[in-house]
Amino acid sequence: MEVNNIISSGLLELYAAGLASQDEAAQVQQWVQQYPEVADELAAIEASLAMYAQANALQPDASVKEKLFERINEGDTAKVIPLSSSQESQLKVVKIPSAWKNVAAAAIVLLIGSTVFNIVQFNKSKAVNDELAQTRQQAAALAQEKKQLEDEQRDINRYVETARNKYSQSVSVTGLNAADSSAKIFWMKNTGDVFVDPANLPALPADKQYELWAIVDGAPVNAGIIINTEKGTYRVQQMKAFGSAVKVQAFAVSVEPKSATPAVTPTVVYAVGPI
Amino acid sequence: MQQRDQQVFSYLYDHYAPALNAVIYRMVEDRELSEDLLQDAFVKIWNNFNSYDKTKGRLFTWMINLTRNLTIDTLRSKSYKKQSKISADENAVSNVKDSSTGIEKFDAVGLTKHLSNLKPDQKTIIDLAYFNGFTQDEISKQLDIPLGTVKTKMRSAILELRNYLK
Repeated sequence: MEVNNIISSGLLELYAAGLASQDEAAQVQQWVQQYPEVADELAAIEASLAMYAQANALQPDASVKEKLFERINEGDTAKVIPLSSSQESQLKVVKIPSAWKNVAAAAIVLLIGSTVFNIVQFNKSKAVNDELAQTRQQAAALAQEKKQLEDEQRDINRYVETARNKYSQSVSVTGLNAADSSAKIFWMKNTGDVFVDPANLPALPADKQYELWAIVDGAPVNAGIIINTEKGTYRVQQMKAFGSAVKVQAFAVSVEPKSATPAVTPTVVYAVGPI
Repeated sequence: MQQRDQQVFSYLYDHYAPALNAVIYRMVEDRELSEDLLQDAFVKIWNNFNSYDKTKGRLFTWMINLTRNLTIDTLRSKSYKKQSKISADENAVSNVKDSSTGIEKFDAVGLTKHLSNLKPDQKTIIDLAYFNGFTQDEISKQLDIPLGTVKTKMRSAILELRNYLK
């Protein structure tokens, strides 16, 4: 429905005057959320009715407020308190009438102020909430950044540790068709553990993956899928260990279709590095 | 309860209690009962303040709806009917039409004078809905107008009201 049709439909007035059915009320609430112009119109209607109510105001006895606060402080949710005797309430009116008249007059004058006050309060609490949300977001972002740095530091440490290991033998695996692409293998002679630094392997299409092979007795043995080929990271990945007794003649990297399980035989050998 | 909440609540009471009291008084025509219900209404407002949803309308609308419903419930309750002289009939309406019911009006911004320019039938339809808590059906019967025109009449009455308040 067009905004103008909504505004001229009369439903907003019914809603504001408390005449709308539940369905109509739900409809109005949805429009208000959807169209700022409708929200503004409803606010203007409500404001006029509130003004009208204030113009017809009837000051209650001062004792009402006193008893109200007594009940609230007792945590009282009971329905009705005993009726006060009219004599008593009249006495109280006589006691402090001028004070209440001033308060009442001030209340009317401040009606507009109170509306503004409400809006300001809501905006304030909204601002505080926004700020809190923002701070939380920043804290989360910082935490993530810290974790990234820690991960990176751990990778660097691991890389350095692996490369400096006195039993570590590094093997360069160079691309068969592209000499500038390479991977570095760290082969631990004492344990037979294998680490790979794939950082210089070019990125593959999403449906392909690199796999590492060891050439043992002239036959390729799969050493696992190389996970991270992202450039600029110091990532060494531990691959399948062959043990120190196995004689590895060379390492090779092949390109395989994307799969969770390593290939049995290499499809396309991309790079080879003899030991 | 928080001291700060009570301060805000006290502020709310000072600003809105007279208007709400007038609404209740229109319906019950008994000053003492009106003030008792006003107190009940504010206890309810205090206890249910968390359920006020500002996206559904302004605070005063929520408060007046709550107050009106509480009053209607009381008027319809058995214990009230026993001693009651009021039903949603001509008594209430003749009272609405009669502006000199002894209600002390506060008029710091000269509103009442402006509002006296409001056409009587426009004033009545607003009063029946907003102050007396009549339903559309009750208004149509009361004013002897088709149900479908309550909406349009209400709209033109409020438009007129808004004109005076500009």
